[in-house]
Amino acid sequence: MRVNPFYVSNLAASLDQTQSTEAQLSNELSSGVSITSLSSNPVAAGENVLLLNQIQRDDSFTQSSSLVQGQLQVADSALGSVVSQLTQAISLATSASNGTLNSSQLQAVSTQLAGIRDEITSLANTSYQGQFIFGGSQTTTAPFATDTSTSPASTTYNGDENVNYLQTPNGQSVQLNVPGDQIFTTSGSNSVFQTLNSLINDYSSGSSVQSAVVDLQSLNTAMNYVSQQRVAIDNSLTRLTAASDAVTVEQTQLTTAQTNLMQADLAGLSTKLSLAESQQTALEAVISQLGSGSLFEKL
Amino acid sequence: MGTINSALNLISSALDADQAALNVVSNNVANADTTGYTREIPNFQEAPPTEINGVAYGMGATVTGATSVRDRVLEQRLSQQQQLSSASSTRLTALDTLQALFTPDSGSSTSTAGDIGSDLTSFFNSVSSLESNPTNNALRQDVLSTASTLAGDISNAAASLSTQQSALDQEATGIASQVNALTSAIAQLNQQIQSRSPTADAGILEDQRQQDISQLSRLIGINQVTTENNGLSITTTSGQLLVSQSTSYQLTTGKSGGVNHFYIGGTDVTTELTTGGGELGGYLTVRDQDIPNATASLDQLAYSVSTQVNALNNAGTDLNGEEGTGTNSSGVTGTGTTPLYIFNQPTQVSGSALAMSVVMTDPNEIAAAALGSGTGDNSNVLSVATFATQATVNGLTPSNYYSQFVSQLGSTISRVQTESTSQSASVTQLQSQIDSLSGVNLNDEASSMQRYERAYQAASEVFTILNQVMASALNLGVQTAVA
Repeated sequence: MRVNPFYVSNLAASLDQTQSTEAQLSNELSSGVSITSLSSNPVAAGENVLLLNQIQRDDSFTQSSSLVQGQLQVADSALGSVVSQLTQAISLATSASNGTLNSSQLQAVSTQLAGIRDEITSLANTSYQGQFIFGGSQTTTAPFATDTSTSPASTTYNGDENVNYLQTPNGQSVQLNVPGDQIFTTSGSNSVFQTLNSLINDYSSGSSVQSAVVDLQSLNTAMNYVSQQRVAIDNSLTRLTAASDAVTVEQTQLTTAQTNLMQADLAGLSTKLSLAESQQTALEAVISQLGSGSLFEKL
Repeated sequence: MGTINSALNLISSALDADQAALNVVSNNVANADTTGYTREIPNFQEAPPTEINGVAYGMGATVTGATSVRDRVLEQRLSQQQQLSSASSTRLTALDTLQALFTPDSGSSTSTAGDIGSDLTSFFNSVSSLESNPTNNALRQDVLSTASTLAGDISNAAASLSTQQSALDQEATGIASQVNALTSAIAQLNQQIQSRSPTADAGILEDQRQQDISQLSRLIGINQVTTENNGLSITTTSGQLLVSQSTSYQLTTGKSGGVNHFYIGGTDVTTELTTGGGELGGYLTVRDQDIPNATASLDQLAYSVSTQVNALNNAGTDLNGEEGTGTNSSGVTGTGTTPLYIFNQPTQVSGSALAMSVVMTDPNEIAAAALGSGTGDNSNVLSVATFATQATVNGLTPSNYYSQFVSQLGSTISRVQTESTSQSASVTQLQSQIDSLSGVNLNDEASSMQRYERAYQAASEVFTILNQVMASALNLGVQTAVA
């Protein structure tokens, strides 16, 4: 049987093949990435897009979440101060209602209460990074203004009912703000400003009036109501922290998965490289042995 | 009865025959490394015997030329396999360039540049960040800058695809002239072969014709039909004549629809050549299928993202308190007069990727708030961010769509890679079979040469002895008269 007389050139082609394998392996070793092109593992390349997408989303949420937590903490501390101001107002009003104070003392109480009202107004107009946080979506104008030209004075809300939400990567919506009117000017006896304004009006004349007793009760109710609203903000803070923690854990897991997917297996690669080197040496030896000589040399 | 004279004649023709055989061997050795050369063997032929008085006497041997040792079936199979192999390897080379545009992101922060998947994520992330503080200028600026990166990368990828397409178009056009040179050479060889050796193998001419067919097979897909008098007709795989006997038909090119089309005698054969094989088939497959497919996917992505993000932004209120002109999901239409578009608004899917750009310059125009809400509202930006997780691009989320796109592209390339490897292995195998039959083996030639040399020596020896016999006959017993 005749054999292919040009087998040495086929061996040379194998040598080329081995060298290209070596180049590919060294490339993976030096870059540390096992998938250097789409065709080397199409499924992993597609999976990689999704994993990176989720990792980056998680990362981005963690950042947004810390931004938002600042705002929620400012809101929470403002409401905390409102509650302590209201406590002070209640103790003032209680002392005024027991009938032991004279006219000028009652007027002083009224003035003090007015001071507290102004303090609460400024707390209700708290801003975070230049944006008023209790005005719903109307964040550029102060949500509360008190008109003292009338008796009793009236405090109006200039914001709206808008509530902003932050969406977590798993689709939960976390409430970011409570509109100011829900906290301060809700209708009836829960309205902080209405109750305070009427109490101020009750004592402004220096005489004890019957309505002051009712107003004092309302002020208690209003304070409890503010505390309740504060709970909504605390809840958001807790949920954000929980979501943020969960996302951080998820991000770690995803990063591990992505690294496993894309990272080169150094030990495996080194082994393959050394095998390829041995093969190359063997091929070279075979070529140099077989490539020389024919029967003509023996003639 | 045979005579000494006839024996002398016989042996001198044997010497001639051996010389002719040695000549064939020398020619083989001389052409051992000539591409396309087919090994030849001398044709020894027994001379017709002479019958004298009812007894037949052999008249020796002559060499009637040399015969090329070839297997036409193998050669034809090699040519077919070469068409497939060069088509897939050409396609693979072009696809390798293409896939470099979509190198997988390793995930380290330094490698994110230019990756459309990461760009999509960054854009939607910057939008979700804006949820946390819809009036923050830095966050708004970030949305526009990530949008620019996204639009820039998609548009760059589309532009590179189109550049590659025109480069392939150029290369494909260049092949036409090579094909024409080869077909006219084959037509000429046909003519020579038909006039010189209409019945037998044409040896070197046949080698040349085979060599040209082999080159032609690398360029385009062909069928060959053997005709009378050793002629050969060559058609494209779809049956359009390229060479008929001694006539060749020119492959011409002409622009049609922005790319070059190929014609034979006025018939557009582009589609047939695309599926036919050869380098031209490979180029045309990438030019007319792979690149348009990739571009169409990018177009769809760009179109969906641009139009839908624009529509959402246009149905909201920006930081200046201006409303867009769009209608939101509750059916409320904005009171604005100019649309609030972030991206260049495409009118059709085709070409969207190339034209994708950010037209918004003022970050305040990002409509974070819903229609009718104050500027601190974030519900509109929330719906833009939710867009990233909804099935908005061909029934998939933008990231899933891109992921599917790269997987599909990768699978296609991987399949072509496998095809190319197996086809080139099969070409090597066929070539090896042909070489083992038709290639010049120096060991064989050495042994043949030795054999003919020995035969020549033997014939000379016989000649010497006959000469002595003749001398003896002439001298009739006197030893010294004629030596």
